[in-house]
Amino acid sequence: MLTKKQNLMEVMKGGNPDRFVNQYEFMEIIMEMPMLKGVFLEPGTEGKNAWGVYYKWPEGHIGQMPVHGEHTVIKDITEWKKYVKAPSVKFSDEEWAAAVEHANKVDRNDQFVTAPYFGGMFEMCHNLMGMENALIAFYEEPELMHELIEFITEYELAYAKEVIDHIRPDAIFHHDDWGTQRNSFLSPEMFKEFFVEPYKKVYGFYKDNGVELIVHHCDSYAANLVPYMIEMGIDIWQGCMTTNNIPELIKQYGGQITFMGGIDSGVVDFPGWNQEIVEREVEKACQNGKLYFIPSLTQGLNISSFPGVYEAVSEAIDRMSKKMF
Amino acid sequence: MSKLQEVRAMVEEGKTKLIAGKVQEALDEGNKAEDILQSMIDAMGTIGDRFSAGEIFVPEMLIAAKAMSLGVDVLKPHLAGESTSSLGTCVIGTVEGDLHDIGKNLVAMMLEGNGFEIVDMGVDVSPEKFLNAAKENKNVKLVALSGLLTTTMPKMEETVKLIKDSGLPVKVIVGGAPVTEEYAAEIGADGFAPDAGSAAVKAKELING
Repeated sequence: MLTKKQNLMEVMKGGNPDRFVNQYEFMEIIMEMPMLKGVFLEPGTEGKNAWGVYYKWPEGHIGQMPVHGEHTVIKDITEWKKYVKAPSVKFSDEEWAAAVEHANKVDRNDQFVTAPYFGGMFEMCHNLMGMENALIAFYEEPELMHELIEFITEYELAYAKEVIDHIRPDAIFHHDDWGTQRNSFLSPEMFKEFFVEPYKKVYGFYKDNGVELIVHHCDSYAANLVPYMIEMGIDIWQGCMTTNNIPELIKQYGGQITFMGGIDSGVVDFPGWNQEIVEREVEKACQNGKLYFIPSLTQGLNISSFPGVYEAVSEAIDRMSKKMF
Repeated sequence: MSKLQEVRAMVEEGKTKLIAGKVQEALDEGNKAEDILQSMIDAMGTIGDRFSAGEIFVPEMLIAAKAMSLGVDVLKPHLAGESTSSLGTCVIGTVEGDLHDIGKNLVAMMLEGNGFEIVDMGVDVSPEKFLNAAKENKNVKLVALSGLLTTTMPKMEETVKLIKDSGLPVKVIVGGAPVTEEYAAEIGADGFAPDAGSAAVKAKELING
């Protein structure tokens, strides 16, 4: 039996995997990294993150959302420098201790020590400004948006350096949602203009410093951006929704990038979920193929919103492995 | 190209810095304010169709809506009383338990661009608040409910039922990622739209229907 890591590599290079890669099994995500402190609120609370973006997680809701209006950080894009202060990426060894300990415990022959990054460049732009203001600014103030993205890129590079120095990750799990379930937010041309080079810089830096795998989370439609994902250096697109026509993507780009998803969380992970729905959706996903594809919930972490769903999906994928391999 | 055509083209292209001057030129040339407004509404119709077809993206829609809004500011003093192109008032919001506002805001912009007066209730709006807004505002013809979470779909159903049971003469349109035409029919909504462009088309159809 191949290790989780070997099995993943077989899937990615079009070799001979002995089973499906089961969701996030190949990544051991180091959530104890000190820069992640305060990124996630507790349910029923609200407050600012390190960038000053105000979030709310109302009781009974399934997640936190940025709130704008009076809380908007960049009130006027022409004065973004006045409003935006990047948080420090410097933390003491003591603050790093839990993350280092976690990373040291991982069997790197079996799993990838994975450093997460939440709120990538596009998300950061609209979290700081509000979505409408950000999207209009790409048209009205393109130079300033380039400047802002460059500033965010410098922060990401500084973050990357600290992460590499402290836990020497094998993989990066980087979040940035680029669309809705029907389309990308930006046209491919606009996306290229603003984001491809900055991401090439950041992902290239990780690769140049020993990171083997770039996993990018984007749980939306983004099929029209896949050529740019490849250019940026993304190895695995996690969160690939069914609206992307995954079989077609595999046919067109398999070998250059691997697609992880195919089980839309919104369809499976809700209060009324049941085993029948899980089995149906997992079976459909597994029909996408054994190569260049990882069946997974589209959720951006190895959890589900409702208890038991993630585990039920994993068990169903194991059953499909027994059937299909 | 006539001045009205130029105004229309500028809205479609989102020329936010030039539109005010062009609308003024159209007025100076003797065009009626109502006709200029109609040319901008037509432009937003085209924008909606192109968005639904996937030919343009959210920024293009936003910048067109902003251009129209700037053009309307110039026209306002010249329009007789309330806009003669008004299709009525639309109460819009995201249903209770859901904080997503992007889709709702886009639909509001498109409806406004197509001639509705908008009462935006924001996000996390209870069924009772929707009903009260539909009762308290003038000339409400449409209530538009947005929801992005499967977990809040029951609230959408509850809101539709409350409005329908009230007997108010309003149409209810629903949309959002998990919402389908079948679901809309099942919960008793009058209409469904999969995106902001088709929401405007559907809304007009419901009002005129």
